[in-house]
This record gives sequence, structure tokens and C-alpha cells, in this order.
Amino acid sequence: MASPLEHELKQLIIETLELEDTTPEDIDPDEPLFVEGLGLDSIDALELGLALQKTYGIQLEAESEEARRHFASLRSLAALVEARRNA
Amino acid sequence: MSNPARPPSDAPLTSQPWRHVAPSRMAAWDAAAGRPVAWAELHGRIGAWQRRLDSLAGPGQQWLLHCRSPLEFAVALIALWARGDSAVLPADDRPETLQALAFRCRAALGDLPDGVVADPAPSPPRWEPMDPARRALSLYTSGSTGEPRRIDKTFAQLDAELAAHARLWPLEGRLVISQVSHQHIYGLLFGILRPLCEGAPLAGAACRTPETLGAWLGRLADAPQAPPGAVLISAPPPLERLPETAIPPAAAGRLTRVHSSGAPLSAAASAHARRVLGTPVEEVYGSSETGGIAWRDQRRGETWTPLPGVEVRADDEGGLWLRSPFLGAPGWQPQADRIAPGPTGFRLLGRADRIAKVGGKRLSLTGLEHRLARHPDVLRAHALPLPGRPHRLGAVLQLAPSALPWCRDTRRARVAALRDDLAAAYPASLMPRHWRFVASWPSNAQGKLGAAEVARLFRDLDDPRRPRWLGVETEGPARCRVTLEVPERLSYLVGHFPDQPVVPGVVLVQWAVALAEEHLALVGDFRDLARLRFPQPLLPGERATLELAVDTTAAGPRLAFTLTGQHGCHARGRVQLAQREVGHGG
Repeated sequence: MASPLEHELKQLIIETLELEDTTPEDIDPDEPLFVEGLGLDSIDALELGLALQKTYGIQLEAESEEARRHFASLRSLAALVEARRNA
Repeated sequence: MSNPARPPSDAPLTSQPWRHVAPSRMAAWDAAAGRPVAWAELHGRIGAWQRRLDSLAGPGQQWLLHCRSPLEFAVALIALWARGDSAVLPADDRPETLQALAFRCRAALGDLPDGVVADPAPSPPRWEPMDPARRALSLYTSGSTGEPRRIDKTFAQLDAELAAHARLWPLEGRLVISQVSHQHIYGLLFGILRPLCEGAPLAGAACRTPETLGAWLGRLADAPQAPPGAVLISAPPPLERLPETAIPPAAAGRLTRVHSSGAPLSAAASAHARRVLGTPVEEVYGSSETGGIAWRDQRRGETWTPLPGVEVRADDEGGLWLRSPFLGAPGWQPQADRIAPGPTGFRLLGRADRIAKVGGKRLSLTGLEHRLARHPDVLRAHALPLPGRPHRLGAVLQLAPSALPWCRDTRRARVAALRDDLAAAYPASLMPRHWRFVASWPSNAQGKLGAAEVARLFRDLDDPRRPRWLGVETEGPARCRVTLEVPERLSYLVGHFPDQPVVPGVVLVQWAVALAEEHLALVGDFRDLARLRFPQPLLPGERATLELAVDTTAAGPRLAFTLTGQHGCHARGRVQLAQREVGHGG
């Protein structure tokens, strides 16, 4: 079962990146967001970074190793938001 | 090549040849009635237009001009030119087109909303001098990328081109019948200005169907004062669709020349038109910006011959360079087409690569399209950076009917397969993000996927209340069929049923009314709904066809709609509207 935060993040990804055929149910929380899986690209990473900053106040260097790790899957992204939000 | 002599009857626009003509002479031919229209009548109309314009403003104005009748267009244009004004010719009469141009102009003239028209009473014309360097008119291109581009033409530019045409194809008093719009350069030059300058009659109405053409030519053969034969100004769409029996036996031999422009005619279509019409087809290659560049008659092969005065050369990549008196700019100018020069002219090799910059990377859109079109189900492909989203690509794909996706799962599978195939050659950032699968190619009156069609195809991205528009087929002024898809991001889906979102019925009715307003010019205030049925829910990702028909009742216009998907009817009903009270100011 997806947590409310995971569902919220799925909505954020779909809205931000204007994914046409994707509903929250289509996003597997453990699948990679980039290249395989959702097939997102480097421009998407930048846009997603911006959206995270706007919505949760989280700053990520889009090109950094850290960002790559957090963007690995929806679950890891949710963990990041959870951690930073409560910090 | 030696230039043929200019026919003695031909005169430049700036000499205002219509001014000196004998009033009893034939100016036009009422092809439906089979009778001549004398210059005296046209002079009276020109004067009437001038009197109306004088009541609005002094000379030196710019007017937005759109008239469906070639004759009324010609007299309005002459009237404003001879007042010292210039014309802005909208490419079409859609509200968005007009709205964008209205601010440049003093007022709209002719068949336009709130368009000024001349009084019926004739009035004596007056003739102010026309300076060759003055701007005669502005035209608009209908490119598929970005905004329509404005192109200004001076009298000198128009006259240079008209003189070249007159040398190659003297009209010699023949009737000019046009099947193309005179709001564009080709129809304007060939259908209106050539006959005016050469003193040849033009058909007073536009010739829309092959049946009309056959009937007109038949009547031409019978009428006592008729012009000695006719010239047809046509284009690939009507020529490709000519029925075998378009010309009745009585009219055989009346047509002495056919012109085609807008796009190259296939060899088969050229031969077909030549056989049916009984006369060679002379094609003209050019554009709004360049004017005519070259011509050909495919009986002599596919090679194009430059028009008199036009010089053509190819650069190392085969790109066409042009030096032409019909262009606004002097010197050699690069063009977007590629050519292969030969001893007597050149062959056209198609458009040069369209290059886009996406996310800082250069991408050949042409290459991407070729790759997409390799798939057997893809009949035609067009890729483009989306207006307002320069880093995102859209793709318009015409699919074989059996390959069209009708629901979310088939659409997702289709997109995934296309992306998989592209992944071998392109990084993810250069792949189209927004896909539009169409059954027939969306095109404007010139047969091109224009900016307006592109805007419609992708407008659901900016307005989450709209369906995804995938094309319209119109059947006359009161019926059409719109194909649409339900975007997953549609705002109305939210919170309707938690487990299975559907499009609410009231939204389907709203869509039907909005699309009828757009495609059938439905106007009225909502009054009543009747016979409303929603037999099957419409789900996100589903594709459906909306049939719209408007008829008029005593109470006002009435819209009947039926929305049909893969598994049958989703919605049908009738919407009664009340006649809207419209105050006609000024």
C-alpha cells in the first residue's frame, strides 16, 4: 500500500513532468524513475528538483551523486522528503 | 533561355489598367448565369467601396480584407489601392487569426465579423497614383512551427512577378477560373491580378467542385458572348480528386491551360488531371515569401525551369539559393529546400533537415520523423518542439486504422513500443514526450499541418479541462466529426469515483457544445437538454468520436451529439440554444 506521501509524490511527478499516460498506480515505488522504469531524463531531473524545492523546501544539486541516489526510485525519494521535512 | 515577349495587352498594376478600360468591355464572367459583367458595373462598385472607406478614414490606411467572392475581393482591393491604402490579407477567417491581425488595421472589410461592406448604390471611382515602392499588401504564411509569418509585398515586387507570368502564359482574353484562395499569394497573382492586368475576364465566383467546373465550362460553350476558352487555377487537392467524368463532352476543348501550386503534384496525379481536363498542367513552385521560383510540365519530366528573371543555384549540401526580383531582399538568399541542379533546370529533393535544439542538444527532426515512419503502422510522422515548451518534443503520428489506440492500455503499449525503438538511436531527453495519434492528417486549406492545427492537437496540455483533440472531419457547414481522447490529467476526473474515475456526463455535454462552437460556428445561449443518455462510462485514456450536427428550430439553433467509442455509445443527446441577442454597433 502506498503511503500518503508516496501518493503525493507520484501526483507531483505526473503534474510537474506532464506525463500523459501515467496515473499514480502506474508508478512502481521500487522501480527506477530514470532511463528504465518511467524513462525520465536529465531535464526531468532538473524540473523535479525545482518542484521538490517549491513544495517541500528541499534543495538538491541535480547533477550530484546525492541527487542520483535519492532519485533512484519513488521509495528513496519519499524517504528523502520524510527525513528533510522532519529535520 | 530567351524570354518570350510580354503580351501587348499586359500592363503593370501601378498603371492601373482598369482605369483606362472601356466601360462596356467585359471585366468578369458570371459563370453560373453564363453572362458577361462589364467594367462599368465594377467601376461603380469600386466607387461605392471608396465612398464607404472615405466615411471611415482618410487615405493612407491599412485594412484587413477577406472576401469569398473573387470579384468583390478584386473591387475592394482596387478601391483601397486607388485611395492610397494597403491591404492585410488574413490566411483564413478563423477568430484567432483575425484577432491577431485586427490591431494592425483600421477596420475589417468584407466577409468578416463586423466587416465593412460597400453600399449597393454605384458611385464614380477616383484614382490616386500608385507608387511602385509602396507596400501593396501583407500576407501571412501558415507554417507548422511558431506564429504565422507576415510577408509584405510592394507594387514593384508584384508587378515584376506578374510580368514574368504574362510572358510565359499570356491569357489572351480567356476566362480565369480559380479553385484556390486569393488570400494567398498564388491565388492572388494567378486568379485575380493576372486577369486584371491583362484585361482578361475572371470568373465572378469561386469554383469549389468538379461538378461546378464542368457546368461552367459547358455553359461557356453555349453562350454567345463568352470568352474564348478558359484557364484553371488549381492545386494538388482538387486535381488529385478529379472524377474521370469531370468535363462533359460539350465542354471538351474549352479549357486551354491548368496551373497547380501549393505542393508538387505527383506524376500520376499530373497525368490523371491532364487526361481528364484534356490540357497540360503547368505547375508553379514557390512560396509566399519568394513568390514563384520555377515551373514545369511533367510531360517533359520532373525538372523545374526557373521563371524569367529568377536565378537558382545549389550550395555544397544541395541547399537552394535564390536571387529573384520577386523577393523583398536583393542578392542571393538561402531557402529551406534542397535541389539537384541539371543542364535545363533542377530537381526538388525535399526540405532541408529541420534542426531543433532540445535541452541544449541539436536534433534533426527530419531524422527522427524518418525513424518513426519506419514502423509499418506509422503512415506519416511529424515531430516538433512544442510552443511554450521548447525543451519538450511532441509527435503527431498518422497510424493505420487498425493500429489506433482506443484505450489507455493500448495507447501506453503503443508509446512504449515507439520509445523502445527510438531508444536505440536517441537519448531519453530527445524522445517525444507528447504523442498524438491521428487517423487522418490534420491540415489547413493549403493541405498543410499549420500552426492552428498544432495548437489544437496540444492544447489539452495547457488546459486540463479540455479533451485531447485529434482531428475533425467536416461534412458541410452544419455537421462534423471530432476525434478526441480523455487525458489522464483531466481535472474533472478528480474525486468522481475513487476507484474508477470517469468523465462526468455534464462534462461531455460541455465538450459537445464547445466543439460545435469551434467547428460549426454554433452561437446561442443554453436553453434546454433533451434525450440525454450516457449508456457507457468514458474512462481516462479512451478515444472516442464525437458527431455533431446543428439545425435551426423556431426557438434557435439545436445541437445533436453522439459520442461513440470502441465499445459503442458513451453519450448522446440534444442541446437547445436560444438565439443570442447581438447588438451590431457601428
